[in-house]
Amino acid sequence: MEQEITFRGHQISHTDLVRSWVIIALTISCILVTVIALERDVQTIYPQLFFFPILYATYFYPRRGILVAGISGIAYECLVYAFLFPDSLSLISATGQAILYICIATAGAYFIEKVRVSEARYRSIFDNSLLGIVLFDKNSFAIQLTNQQFGTMLGYTADELTSLPFSEFFPSMEARQHFFELLGSSADIRNFETSFITKDGKPFNVNLSWSRIEGSTVSCSVIDINERVRARREADDMAARYRQVTESSPTAIVIIRDRKIVFSNPAFSTFCGYSPEEYYGRDLADFILPDLRGAFLAFSRQWETGRSLPSRAEFRFLAKDKKIRRGVLFCTPISRDGIAATLVNIVDNTEWEEFREHVEETTERRRDIISTVAQELRTPLQPIMGYLNLLLQDPQTFGVTEETREILERCIKSVDQEKQVINQMLELSVMDTDETTLNYSLFSVPELIHGILEQGRYLRKAEIRIDIPVDLTFEADRNKIEMVIDAMLSNAVAYSKPPRKISISYHSMPNHPFHQLAIQDNGVGITDARLDEIFEPAGLPGQDRENHERAGHSLTLAKKFIHLHGGYISVDSIVNLGSTFTIHLPKQAPKGEERI
Amino acid sequence: MTRKIVVVEDDQPILDMMELMLKKLGYEAVLITNGIDALEAVKKEPPSLILLDVMMTPISGWEFLERLREELGMRNIPVLLFTASPTVPEKLEHMHDPLLGMLQKPVSFQELKKGIEKYLR
Repeated sequence: MEQEITFRGHQISHTDLVRSWVIIALTISCILVTVIALERDVQTIYPQLFFFPILYATYFYPRRGILVAGISGIAYECLVYAFLFPDSLSLISATGQAILYICIATAGAYFIEKVRVSEARYRSIFDNSLLGIVLFDKNSFAIQLTNQQFGTMLGYTADELTSLPFSEFFPSMEARQHFFELLGSSADIRNFETSFITKDGKPFNVNLSWSRIEGSTVSCSVIDINERVRARREADDMAARYRQVTESSPTAIVIIRDRKIVFSNPAFSTFCGYSPEEYYGRDLADFILPDLRGAFLAFSRQWETGRSLPSRAEFRFLAKDKKIRRGVLFCTPISRDGIAATLVNIVDNTEWEEFREHVEETTERRRDIISTVAQELRTPLQPIMGYLNLLLQDPQTFGVTEETREILERCIKSVDQEKQVINQMLELSVMDTDETTLNYSLFSVPELIHGILEQGRYLRKAEIRIDIPVDLTFEADRNKIEMVIDAMLSNAVAYSKPPRKISISYHSMPNHPFHQLAIQDNGVGITDARLDEIFEPAGLPGQDRENHERAGHSLTLAKKFIHLHGGYISVDSIVNLGSTFTIHLPKQAPKGEERI
Repeated sequence: MTRKIVVVEDDQPILDMMELMLKKLGYEAVLITNGIDALEAVKKEPPSLILLDVMMTPISGWEFLERLREELGMRNIPVLLFTASPTVPEKLEHMHDPLLGMLQKPVSFQELKKGIEKYLR
């Protein structure tokens, strides 16, 4: 620090004081020398002497230099007047000298001021720069000058830095070696990324650019790139993780930009059979089945125009092996390298679709077979039925005795039964294809049951006790429920011997979600092992035919109908005591679209 | 006057039986075993009702029906389809023909009587 003293309210440093004294001393010396020279008539040197104080003053204090030049000019002029008057030539020469002093001082002051301003400007840039700036010697690496920012970056003070060689900041021999090699090459270096070590031993990422200025001095700018390095590392991590996810994904992933495939994962190669070299840069539409390309273009136009995309679209692709692959496309608009692109996930559902088609075909074929079988079975029944009807219609004409009549009636019953079985078989085949719909309505249960009893002539076959509220109503498909109850009653009759006792009762509590209608018989009962079997379609290979002989498909249908309503049938049975079938039917009918 | 019913059916046992049944019911039965002959017969002498099998060759019951209604313009003759096929009821719903009914084989004497009477009212 320079010491300062106060003189008449002005702060004056020691240096300034010394310089001022030098200027004053030089000026006085010049005046004295001039006096002596004039007195002794030595004419050669005295006017030029004044240049010393003038230039000295101008150099350090440009404006005051002009003042010194003025004083010097006046002093010289006065001395010449005093000694040489009236030599007019000398007087003119002296005046010219005085003017010359002022001119030289002014010119000097102007240029020096200019240099000072420019230097101050650079100094300010140097000091305030966010870059670290170091000037060091190319050979010894001795630091000549640094700005404050450089010290701040690495945690050193300005004094500490001047005593360190620049090469000291490199953490490893390799890094230092690399730096030396680059420095040794003649070219100026830009953006050399390396790592420095701070005073407390932490790594510090920097970007160096340097150029030689004069002699062996190198000027080097140092940029703090810690943030950039961290961000890049994070991005790399993200990219690595992203790559891992996409590469191991079973879903084919493609990124499309400007209609071209710019990215894909291995699953896409597997899906289409082509290698990345074969599809990069090509349009995804090239891999779609030719017939569907128009539809695909319409679909892809939606993502090009930025309109909201459908959640999924299915397309058929033509793989390299000429086989058709089916893919469901899910598209998401993304930005890749700052440019809008589309991320397409392709879920391969080829096998699923083939399987579904196969199932559909099989079901369709089975329905056709059943339909044909039904026709073939029904047709020959017609003459039998017709002739039996005729015989019974007019027994006298055909000579039918009472005994024969009974036999014929039994025959008709069998034909009726067969007709029922065929109808049930058709009903089941339709139900397998889920085409059955329910027609909900609100109906009276006692009325329905009385109708069934009358229709099936059950009262003739068994003693039936009915214990249900007279105002009981169900909201369900009336026809289906009728068939279910009829099946239950016919089953109860079929599996018991006279005297048959059947009871129909209702058990549900008002707040219970299900209606519970129980049909109890005093029949042979069912062993636990066969409880599940009774609901299976009769006549399938490997099943006990005897058990299903009379029940046919009616219980299977009953179970399916109740399931369609969202309910179920439970069975309680004790062998040789009887069975209780309970229909559990939801009280609340499904609303609107919930209905099947 | 006995009313005339044309039975178009390619199965001879059924045809024989139908003849007896219709006679019993008091109608005059005209038995024809294929659609083309039946169209000719109907054109010559329009019956009161036609009992029509669906699965026939060379023309099916459906084709017969179309030609009867469109070509011959006989829209006021009731036709009772007489079929064992389970898909006919569904088709029938879409026809919207008030004079078109159906009897599912095997049909009983009572069913036949009711069916015919319904359309001959």
